[in-house]
Amino acid sequence: MSLPRADSADICLLLEGTFPYVSGGVSSWVNQIIRGFPEYTFACCFVGSRPEDYGEMKYELPDNVVHLEVHYLHNFQRGPQKRSLKGNRKAYADLRRFHEMVKEGVHSRERSELFSRIVTHLGEGEDYSEESFLHSRASWDYIAEAYREFSRDPSFVDYFWTVRIMHSPIWVLNDIANNLLPAKMYHTISTGYAGFLGAMLKRRTGKPLLLSEHGIYTKERKIDLFQSEWISDNRGLVEKNNAEMAYFREKWVNFFTELGRECYQASDRIVALYERNRERQMEDGAPPERTLNIPNGIDLPRMQKVRAARGESVPPVACLIGRVVPIKDVKTFLRAMRTLVNVLPEAEGWIAGPEDEDKEYARECHGLVASLGLEKNVKFLGFQKIDELLPKVGVIVLSSISEALPLVLLEGFAAGVPAVSTDVGSCRQLIEGLGEADRAYGKAGEVVGIADPEALGNAVASLLKDRDAWHQAQQAGIRRVENLYTQDMMFGAYRDLYQSLVRDTDAASPQESTDRYREGRH
Amino acid sequence: MAGIGFELRRLLRKDTLLGLIRAYAYAGVISSGPWVLSIIGILIIGIFSLGMVVPDASVTQFQITVTYLIAISLILTGIVQLAFTRFCADRSFENREDLILPNFGGVTVLVTVISGLLALPAAMFLFPGQSVLFRVLLIACFVVLSNIWIATVFLSGMKQYKAILLLYALGYTITVLGALMLRFLDLDGLLLGFLLGQVTLLAGMLVLIVRGYPAESIVSFDMFGKKYLYPSLMLVGFFYNAGVWADKAMFWFYDGTGSDVIGPLRASLIYDIPVFLSYLSLIPGMAVFLVRMETDFVEYYSNFYDAVREGGSLSYIEDMRNQMVFVIRQGIFQILKIQAISALVIMVAGAQIFNALGISELYLPLLKVQLIATALQVVFLAIINVFCYLDQRRMLVLLTGLFFVLNVIFTGISLYLGPQFFGFGFLLALAVCVLLGLWLVSRKMAELEYSTFMLN
Repeated sequence: MSLPRADSADICLLLEGTFPYVSGGVSSWVNQIIRGFPEYTFACCFVGSRPEDYGEMKYELPDNVVHLEVHYLHNFQRGPQKRSLKGNRKAYADLRRFHEMVKEGVHSRERSELFSRIVTHLGEGEDYSEESFLHSRASWDYIAEAYREFSRDPSFVDYFWTVRIMHSPIWVLNDIANNLLPAKMYHTISTGYAGFLGAMLKRRTGKPLLLSEHGIYTKERKIDLFQSEWISDNRGLVEKNNAEMAYFREKWVNFFTELGRECYQASDRIVALYERNRERQMEDGAPPERTLNIPNGIDLPRMQKVRAARGESVPPVACLIGRVVPIKDVKTFLRAMRTLVNVLPEAEGWIAGPEDEDKEYARECHGLVASLGLEKNVKFLGFQKIDELLPKVGVIVLSSISEALPLVLLEGFAAGVPAVSTDVGSCRQLIEGLGEADRAYGKAGEVVGIADPEALGNAVASLLKDRDAWHQAQQAGIRRVENLYTQDMMFGAYRDLYQSLVRDTDAASPQESTDRYREGRH
Repeated sequence: MAGIGFELRRLLRKDTLLGLIRAYAYAGVISSGPWVLSIIGILIIGIFSLGMVVPDASVTQFQITVTYLIAISLILTGIVQLAFTRFCADRSFENREDLILPNFGGVTVLVTVISGLLALPAAMFLFPGQSVLFRVLLIACFVVLSNIWIATVFLSGMKQYKAILLLYALGYTITVLGALMLRFLDLDGLLLGFLLGQVTLLAGMLVLIVRGYPAESIVSFDMFGKKYLYPSLMLVGFFYNAGVWADKAMFWFYDGTGSDVIGPLRASLIYDIPVFLSYLSLIPGMAVFLVRMETDFVEYYSNFYDAVREGGSLSYIEDMRNQMVFVIRQGIFQILKIQAISALVIMVAGAQIFNALGISELYLPLLKVQLIATALQVVFLAIINVFCYLDQRRMLVLLTGLFFVLNVIFTGISLYLGPQFFGFGFLLALAVCVLLGLWLVSRKMAELEYSTFMLN
């Protein structure tokens, strides 16, 4: 299938491992944003890890996506025997100086000058070309020297490949930045490699860069990295110290933190979904004056129809809407159901979400249902249409150990369903409100600690038993969503951002901006 | 030649003088056995036939014919020898030994067809004065010899050194006996005897191969596919063998030094005898070379690559590299020392040997030059071997190509300059290649980790 191509676009989206090849919350949000702004043309620049990691497109491309290009960061090809290459020693001394400053956390003029010298000389035949990084003697000497000086892990081959795999996407990004179509602004949906690409584009073209972060990339990468077993840990048993991160993990975490910092520094505006994330962005180096919160919004009229479909009574049904995976901590939900059923024998627990992502975990969950004796009360429904599901639900439950801004809570509120959630991500903000005015809407349910099935079960029980409390929570949820979390409000906030950023570009003399663009390309 | 290392190490580990001597003797016999046997075999046939029924001229004709057969078949099969060795080594590293035998079949078929096609017109048109039997024998010998070289390479790759040695001993015993018994048929008889011995040798090898390595198909040409073939190794094999024979061929065909022997084949009495005698001196050098390469070098070599692959520390990797360098240096010094001793022995005994063979003592200076050249040739071989281990194919092409070219040029100059310079062409060509080779080895070893990690 051929991808749409264009010579230019209004907004270029930088998408790392998401829309349109991966489905999920962020991808749906991207889809929603593109469709919400038919007045702009969009270019999508998808950056993935390896071609074999992705299948067909998961979304139909909206009509205003005029351009889509796909790139892969880890596409190693073995070539013929390479010739040895000297490399510029002076350049690698500068590189060393730069890394020292990064390690020490120094932020100075010198550092940013060094950095800009480095990223502007990545091209073929230049001091920091990929060829030079991969094959030059100077690069080798620096890597070997850094290993001797810093590595706490004895395995040189692992150190070497960690450095290689980590850095080699930079040249892919450099190529992308050199060839990307002109746009009036760039919008990256994460930090990481895509964010770094955004920073490069901004440096080259001078066009505004907008960053929207759903999760916090560095934090998610940390979770990934701790889980991934391929990052080897070769310390001997005696050398191992549990308080100390495996050295290569630490290297990865630091690397992504730095990529993130460069992206924050380059971004004109930095959008978080909710306050706690905004604070974290600032801790990681985002200039406070450029940050703002724009929460996700839901399609209110649609949910109002769902609300209208509800009956008078409160169904004694607690529903977890989400994939059956460890991060959702479905097991805690099941144990909470035991508590709930002890208090309210007719209560039912539904799990609405696909089970095929982690089959082993799903099997364990089914086993747990049996051993808790909940076969009559718990149902695994598989994927469900939310519009048909919500009218039959009494309380939405979220037992996750990690969330950002879960749309199901908002949709539930709009459809008239209160919620009980663990205290993760923005859940407290959504249920209890943030700031005085918001808190005045009331509590749309209850917040409990993570991995506390008893508290979770009791909180659900008290809502389902007490009709008044339930109705108060329902009304609080409806008021909060209608006043703060509608799609219209989200579109409004982004419209302001897009308009002001694109206007900045248009205001700059067109001649000058094309010149700057050209300069970037050569 | 891995695998022999185990046995050598076992002998060395006994740590007694006898164990040491046995290890070196074993290595000497293994490494130079096959072709020392062939030289001795041909010489014996000559010595026993001289003055007997056969006219002297026929003996010389026989020896020269066999020399040509060996030289040309070596150069021809040299093109595939190294590439095929590499193919065998790679497949056994991948545990795909089942691919090896069918490809041996493929190479054999190819070699048979090509050598037959080359020998046929040569035998038909170049020897008008000879009998039909001679021509047929010529073709048969050429094809059989070519196949023997391939089978030898294959069995070496399979680490069957003892079997190779025993078969060569058997083959050449039959060659000698057959030739002596058939010498009443003159030249044809000698050659027929030679063929009988060689056919026995080849048959023995084939039986061993087919019995030892059953495979589903017999013939496959996979190794000539783009995926497996290293054209550079084909060049190296050709250059090396062509280089080794270039100076000899020039002496044969230069008017002042060569004379007609049979058909278009010429020989150079003054050059050939010293050259072949001096080749006998390389047995101890080859023994040292084999012991060093197969024990210490291979040990550090595999430690080095294991550490690279399996997560050794950089300092350990460098340590192994330094050990390899040390072993190479030590090995080369030892080769030079032992070659010097054996060269001295032959120099001292040279006059007597020449007298016994009825050769003029005028050739003695040439023998001395050739002895030094032979010592250098062992070193050159060691360097080539190191580069083979390090998979430096470009270096190999460069060195062997240079060897060939320089040998031709310098030998040409020495022929032009006159008798007191004979032999210096070959010596100088080797000297240049050895010096360059040593310099390249030391440069390559100095950046071994760099090239291992960054240039692959």
